Amino acid sequence: MRNKLEKYRSYFFLIPGLFFLFLFTYLPIMWATWLSFNQWNLLCFKPKFAGMANYVKLWHDAVFWLVMKNTLIFVTVSIFPTMFLALVFAVLIDERMKGRVYYIYSLFYPTLIPMAAAAMLWVYIYSPNLGILNVFLAKLGLPKLGWLGSSSTSLWALIIMTFWKNLGFFMLIYLSGLQNVSRELYEAAYIDGAGWWRRHTSITFPLIAPTSLFVLVTAIILTFRVFDQIQLMTEGGPGNSSNVIVYYIFENGFKFFDWGKACSLTSILVVFLLMLTLLIFGISRRHITYSSD
Amino acid sequence: MEEKKYEVVLKIFILQIVGFLMILPFIWLISTALKSPSEVFTQTLSLIPKKFMWTNFVDIMDQAPFWLYMVNTIIVCAGILLIQLLLVIPAAYAFARLDFPGKDIMFLLFVIQIMLPLEAIIVPNYLITKKLGLLNTRIGLILPFVASGFGTFMLRQTFKQIPKSLEDAALIDGAGHLRFIWHVIIPLSRPTIVTFSMISIATHWNDYFWPLIITDVDRVRTLTIGLGMFVQQESGSDWSLLMAATLFVCAPIIAFFLATQRTFIKSFLTSGIKG
Repeated sequence: MRNKLEKYRSYFFLIPGLFFLFLFTYLPIMWATWLSFNQWNLLCFKPKFAGMANYVKLWHDAVFWLVMKNTLIFVTVSIFPTMFLALVFAVLIDERMKGRVYYIYSLFYPTLIPMAAAAMLWVYIYSPNLGILNVFLAKLGLPKLGWLGSSSTSLWALIIMTFWKNLGFFMLIYLSGLQNVSRELYEAAYIDGAGWWRRHTSITFPLIAPTSLFVLVTAIILTFRVFDQIQLMTEGGPGNSSNVIVYYIFENGFKFFDWGKACSLTSILVVFLLMLTLLIFGISRRHITYSSD
Repeated sequence: MEEKKYEVVLKIFILQIVGFLMILPFIWLISTALKSPSEVFTQTLSLIPKKFMWTNFVDIMDQAPFWLYMVNTIIVCAGILLIQLLLVIPAAYAFARLDFPGKDIMFLLFVIQIMLPLEAIIVPNYLITKKLGLLNTRIGLILPFVASGFGTFMLRQTFKQIPKSLEDAALIDGAGHLRFIWHVIIPLSRPTIVTFSMISIATHWNDYFWPLIITDVDRVRTLTIGLGMFVQQESGSDWSLLMAATLFVCAPIIAFFLATQRTFIKSFLTSGIKG
């Protein structure tokens, strides 16, 4: 009996953390799941069980499908090109001893700036009449672009800004991963006559795979939850052209006060994130071998 | 390994161009923050203001309590970090060095949280915080972030690498787990703890969504939210003041980074991620 209790003594170390983990992560998820089956909005002030009503409503909601499409575009376009260029610049910086610190800082500093501040700066850069981009286009004699104000460019303008914000962060993680790649491999490949590109596709890219996985996970977390720049720069507009899932949850909950719908969107997002987690760990177990730690 | 001359030139050229393009927005920010409103309206590309308007910074202080916002941000960031360390260090210790039933499942609960950021479950979190009566309080700004799956994972990796022999020696000397953590584990893991602390500060200094949701009075607002409100109030009319406010919000975290740059980059590059 005493031995059994002894075993559970370790939980003393865990309980404080578990308590808050439960209170602000798992309890909310369970509650949101329950509420997603309830009607709770301006017409119905108290949660009332409504079965699948919220999900059916979403299925017929054109904005929901647009939001899902925008989210997927935003996530994939922000992740993969950024990762690739981050790796290329990490390699270039890694090979340059001179001016190394300057290059690292010039790429990394946007990561440190609060997203709210970065968003304000870019609202100004994109501003139709006074922004540096349109003034520059005008000086070149080119037509001005609508940037944030036009439904065909708003999402892309946000993607460019997010690229600027995340590039240095990914680059720095890659730079740390490159420290573990042995220089001798490059020497050997060089002697065998492999050019710069060949050396990196055959040595760097495969050996850096575990780091890439880490960057990918970080990037997914960062891009799926995108909110700050959307709220400050476009409010999802014009005409929902830059609306994404987290912003749509915010709109339904805190602007339209349709808590039931907001909770069903939350459940969809949580299921999506959990499936993505499983997928990534499935792939990584099969294809990437870790050094034993 | 000798590089060909054109390769070197090309690489430096690419890095210079990219470095310049990345840094240009920030130069533009500083330059606009120091210009007079009338100069901003002339559609100029010039980066050096005709007249340096240091008074812009005085003007923004008259319009919104930015110093108060900064004090709030410091309190919130420090509070989050302090409680995080109190929760994360024991949890990481248990996962790294103790054996108990249900260990794998518990660890999974912590790790999964990394994939479920507060932003994704904002609605029920708001409802819970409201039920707890924590809307418009600094405690409400702190508590949802204190259980860090990321921190637990990161510290566990480091704690695992501390040799078992040290533990045996400490236990023979009659030290309990808490004394062992305090006198051996923490000092030996300092670089990782410092790295985690820096990431935590940099992350929570920038929090925007949560404070936006749960605060609606200046008394508890943080810098980022203060900036957002300032923009609404100005409604985009005076770019030089808006950029001065933006610069004021960026400055502390950039200064913090510059003051600790060596530790920051170094700890990031060495002890941060291993596969």
